[in-house]
Amino acid sequence: MGRLALHDLSLAQGGRTVLEHVEGQFPDGAITALIGPNGAGKSTLIQGIMGLLKPSRGRIECAVPRERRAWLPQQLALDLSFPMSVEELVMTGTWPSHGALKGYCGPHYRQAREVMARLGISHLAHRPLGELSGGQRQRALFGRTLMQEAELLLLDEPFANVDIETVEVLTGVLRDMAGQGTTIIVVLHDLDQLTRLADEVLLLDNGHARWTTPQAVIDQPTRGTRRVSPFMPTQDADTPHA
Amino acid sequence: MLELLNSLFIAPFDYGFMQRALVAGLALSLAAPALGVFLMLRGMSLIGDAMAHAILPGVALGFLMAGFSLPAMSLGGILSGLLVAGLAGSVSHMSGHREDSAMASFFLISLAAGVMLVSLGGSSVDLTHVLFGSILAVDSTALILIAAISTLIVVVLAVVFRALVVECLDPLFLRGQGMAGGLVHGIFLGLVVLNLTAGFQTLGTLMAVGLMMLPATTARFWSKRLEGLIGLGILLAMFATSGGLLLSYHLELPSGPSIILLAGACYVFSALLGRYNSLLAKLRRRDAPLEPRAAE
Repeated sequence: MGRLALHDLSLAQGGRTVLEHVEGQFPDGAITALIGPNGAGKSTLIQGIMGLLKPSRGRIECAVPRERRAWLPQQLALDLSFPMSVEELVMTGTWPSHGALKGYCGPHYRQAREVMARLGISHLAHRPLGELSGGQRQRALFGRTLMQEAELLLLDEPFANVDIETVEVLTGVLRDMAGQGTTIIVVLHDLDQLTRLADEVLLLDNGHARWTTPQAVIDQPTRGTRRVSPFMPTQDADTPHA
Repeated sequence: MLELLNSLFIAPFDYGFMQRALVAGLALSLAAPALGVFLMLRGMSLIGDAMAHAILPGVALGFLMAGFSLPAMSLGGILSGLLVAGLAGSVSHMSGHREDSAMASFFLISLAAGVMLVSLGGSSVDLTHVLFGSILAVDSTALILIAAISTLIVVVLAVVFRALVVECLDPLFLRGQGMAGGLVHGIFLGLVVLNLTAGFQTLGTLMAVGLMMLPATTARFWSKRLEGLIGLGILLAMFATSGGLLLSYHLELPSGPSIILLAGACYVFSALLGRYNSLLAKLRRRDAPLEPRAAE
């Protein structure tokens, strides 16, 4: 049984229907890739699942409480020039249990250190976010997500602008989380990552959704996916931004 | 020597009006720079200016109805400031336009309305007082009001601090966690309005923004950490208020502009010689050899 199910779901943005009659269950402990061309409604569906957008028809059944749902937007949506260190960013992941007021204590700092060690960013703990490379920032953001101990995790193109080593570390982290039962939904454009990462695929196109498998997508590439050599896209991504 | 120091720095504060002015300025200096730091980091540096104009019609109305009564004028200022912030927020929400365009429209309306009201009801002397304030005329009532508002700001800021930091970095994170969208933002804008209302008596509606923004923008040349920015901002604001007051006393200059100009001088100095991103830092970096790459 899945914790997250869509029943005859329709979603609209600004009066325009983006998705219609979406059915299906996201399997627990598995990674579902959300693919489709730009404007197919991937972000809209994510907003719906996060409860930021009301369905215009049908419903979203989600057994995961709000504070156990985590959402990692594209890096570009974040103001990473904010004067904050990696450790501080990771610690904000305690929001579900701590909210605005409770103080952090020893065990949480220990947990943050473990999280950073697992992501290979322990040496960057006190570095400001603005001085990190794309890959390092993405690891830090994953750190925040890990601290949230999410049962449902949504990611929007987590591997855009990220170096290969980071992709491998993060893929491992996601697989581990799925192994522990987390429901993971990830927006992907890259077919190579699709085969390595995803168990299931929800293909969005033209307002409709179709469930399929990574293999079927590979055999018959559709709009909105690209096959890129694993060594191509991210060579320059590791240079720090000013 | 001691006598000189005494006559330069201590003796001026023998006067009651100088004491009250100093305490009012220091109280504002504790609250304003932290707000300025967040405004700056949120890319809203000019919103403070807009809000300063927004409180004007309320101050004018309070003045017309109750005469020169600081509580009435402050209450009017708070109400009209909150009204404009709320209206601007809802118009931008409704139309999908950016908030700054709605804010710009409303602050211009408020400015015109405020000037109109003051001119209808009073003389140009009153207008000058509202626009430019006079820290030397702070009486005990005003002092208590200013101290109370500053305390309130510091306390509320401490409560919403973490939420504000998280929201600056990733606005959707809190909404995803079920926090009402815009709540933190709204509280923050409310604090800005409160601070400007406390500041208008001392520095006037227009220059009250100066004590908020200049220490914050100056601190940015010296620190890369949030605590550093806020702490340094407070020190700078305190330096500017006490230094500005002394300058105005000894050189017989108007006090408000002296304070803000001193803060401005700190800004220019820091832009030239500050530790980070200043002219000097840029020149130095060009000469420095490539840093060895840290082990990843």
